[in-house]
Amino acid sequence: MGKLGLVKARHLVSRTGMGAEWATIQRYKNLTMNDAVAHTLSYVDYTLPRPPRTSSWTKTVGNRKSVSRQRNMMRMSKNEGAALQTWWANHMLTTKTPFLERMTLFWSNHFPSTIAGTKQPSALYHQNVMLRKNALGNYGNMLMAVSKDPAMLIYLDGYSNIKDDPNENFAREVLELFTMGGTVYYSENDIKNAARAFTGWSIDDRTGKFINRPEQHDTGVKTFMGKRGNFNGDDILKILLQHPRTAETIAEKMWKEFINTSRPNPGYTRKWAHIFRTSNYDIKTLLTAVLTSDVFWHPANMGGLIKSPVELAIGTMRTLPYRLRKNNLAHNLSLMGQSLFAQPSVKGWDGGESWISTQSLMRRSGLMTNLTRGNLRGKHDPLFMRHMPECSDEELMAWLIPVKPLHPLPTQPGRQRLVRALVLDPAYQVS
Amino acid sequence: MDRREFLKYSSLMSAAGLAPELAFSANGSIPEKIVVLVELKGGNDGFNTLVPYRDPAYKKLRPTIHIPEKRVLTLAQGNMGMHPNLTELMKVWNQGDMAWVQGLGYQGAVLSHFRSMDIWDSGSNANQFISDGWLSQVLPNYKAGLHGICVSPDGSSLGPLQSANMNSVAMQSPRMFVNQSRSIQDVTPVNSTAALAHLTTTQHQLFQAGQQLREKMTRSLKQKTRSNSKGAFGHSLNSVAQMITAGIDCPVYKVTQDGFDMHSGQTGRHNNNLYQVNHSLGQFVHKMKQQGLWDRIVIMSYSEFGRRAAENRAGGTDHGTASAQFVMGGGIRGGLYGQHPNMEQLDPNGNVAHTTDFRQMYATMAQRVWRQGNHPWQGHKTIPFV
Repeated sequence: MGKLGLVKARHLVSRTGMGAEWATIQRYKNLTMNDAVAHTLSYVDYTLPRPPRTSSWTKTVGNRKSVSRQRNMMRMSKNEGAALQTWWANHMLTTKTPFLERMTLFWSNHFPSTIAGTKQPSALYHQNVMLRKNALGNYGNMLMAVSKDPAMLIYLDGYSNIKDDPNENFAREVLELFTMGGTVYYSENDIKNAARAFTGWSIDDRTGKFINRPEQHDTGVKTFMGKRGNFNGDDILKILLQHPRTAETIAEKMWKEFINTSRPNPGYTRKWAHIFRTSNYDIKTLLTAVLTSDVFWHPANMGGLIKSPVELAIGTMRTLPYRLRKNNLAHNLSLMGQSLFAQPSVKGWDGGESWISTQSLMRRSGLMTNLTRGNLRGKHDPLFMRHMPECSDEELMAWLIPVKPLHPLPTQPGRQRLVRALVLDPAYQVS
Repeated sequence: MDRREFLKYSSLMSAAGLAPELAFSANGSIPEKIVVLVELKGGNDGFNTLVPYRDPAYKKLRPTIHIPEKRVLTLAQGNMGMHPNLTELMKVWNQGDMAWVQGLGYQGAVLSHFRSMDIWDSGSNANQFISDGWLSQVLPNYKAGLHGICVSPDGSSLGPLQSANMNSVAMQSPRMFVNQSRSIQDVTPVNSTAALAHLTTTQHQLFQAGQQLREKMTRSLKQKTRSNSKGAFGHSLNSVAQMITAGIDCPVYKVTQDGFDMHSGQTGRHNNNLYQVNHSLGQFVHKMKQQGLWDRIVIMSYSEFGRRAAENRAGGTDHGTASAQFVMGGGIRGGLYGQHPNMEQLDPNGNVAHTTDFRQMYATMAQRVWRQGNHPWQGHKTIPFV
């Protein structure tokens, strides 16, 4: 197998990392595809910067139950939530192993829980750590952990799901979004019975951790997806993991994350789903299948994805020596439609083409203009140049954009001017 | 870049070979009919909005959250009444400019927010998957140029205006749009990948719409108008009013009031939401009348579904099916249309059966508002509210 070379190396790095760092591309371009993919999957570091101070569940639970202290709760969660957003955005900006953060972001969008929906940033932090721990592990384990995760139990009303008053919210979304995908593979009755099976899963007010309350659990017989039994929540999740749709749902999301914005091709996603399921939901096995597939490397798919706001903002700052004037990265992300820990609904950000609306495009282009401000000045910025690789203009273009530029390039010479033109070109918005 | 230089530049750019079907008419005028879509997101509880206060089943199924007869704004028709907070809408009703269409839904109701909203947005059947918004079946034949503007705080989904065949624009506000679109260069749409096609088309639309808005609104945006509108919904409607008054050539606007998904503690939250809807729409109606534009306006509400007939134990309601929606405007024939659903005959989920297919609304809009006989809802009877 031949070496990757510059174009393929940048393709792999830009789609698995955040941005396309020159140093990583240089390392990968001399590797074979298999070696580069294997390195991508194994090069991970789980250490995290110190989290911001957040109020624990035991501190907030009194306020939560009091109507008059709702305003306090709002203010607390807003302030602590903003600190948490900044914490994660800064970690994504500085991490040495961006693939792990990218996958954590992927799963946090598959299993969203939000600041406004939980008013408990401390629980969101713990959920984030849990998702990172499982991000390249086992999907079955992650699904089990999410279902018992305090932030999720708050976000989808699981903790108020008790046998005398079953709440369908979590059961519905587990089926529709986390496993089956879509609404055609199960009935309303399956949702009702799953909700009954999940009753009793709650949060311990003394610790803020998961607790099973048997006295709140509906011990009656349930019928679920054609099966009958005295099911509990674990049983429901196991039945869902046996269903072929669960693996297909994840495989289809992988298509949207790594291949292109068009409808997933079932020829590929069914095959990936089969590999995923027979590996007992090993995420690295699935990722290897995706990243070594011919469709991932097909030249027609280069430029086939739209960069998420995280890829655009953080990726640019990791790739090029550009910095924001103010430290308001998380705010910039939210202006472009990717407010961390604040997805618009439990469905997460739709991603793909929906990243681009006339409104978000103005914000995206405004941010790129801000970052590159000053690059039109005639004089050389020595600091900027010191951080730029020595390469030809052709290599520079192949590095920064996946397709030919759509606007004419500047006629005046100058590296800074050229870099700026490429970053402001529409072709820079795709990956 | 200063203004003169910019104008020179932009005129050069627009001359540089645009796809003609995309070109917006630069001096297009205010359309004959202007439709304002009001999205009530999360599933609005129709039974506590247009209240069947005399229906014994209504009171029985909702012992704590029903609205008693003495508080309802009675319509003197069909034993129905409006939620007590809808005072401004009541004025419109009394003037005969408001229609309520009851029992709107579809066969095989889906209780998922996302899926059911897709069905309403596209006008599909319950088992059909269409990604284009329903307006793409009507507006491209109706006119060239700009088709729709969606105003929302996060510039989010275009919904019924979503389609590659339409020129639709999402914005936070015209002020921000006018300011920020200045730096956008035009680009000729390409289709080397679907992603690039979408991106370049959107950028081209942004450039074109930006030009029209700057041309028509730069002066009016300089005037400091005092706005009494509160909340995101009120600000959005205020923006729509500004654009209509400025003469923007756009036949459809879409605004959203979010937060109707009330599984618990519904009464207070629903009161608040309807308060916002009522006051914002009241101001909007007032402005349109002041400008002499009321006869051109058609305001239409929609929501992904209604709520369950019975309340739950948390004082809320779960996802339901059929619901009532309203249509208002100077040219609207006021009154009650469609049948109030039978609240005594519920399906196994505890939901009512719909009595009017929601696509009758779309057929009515296509045929009676835009006078387009060629639309995909031929099997659905129009409703005589226009």
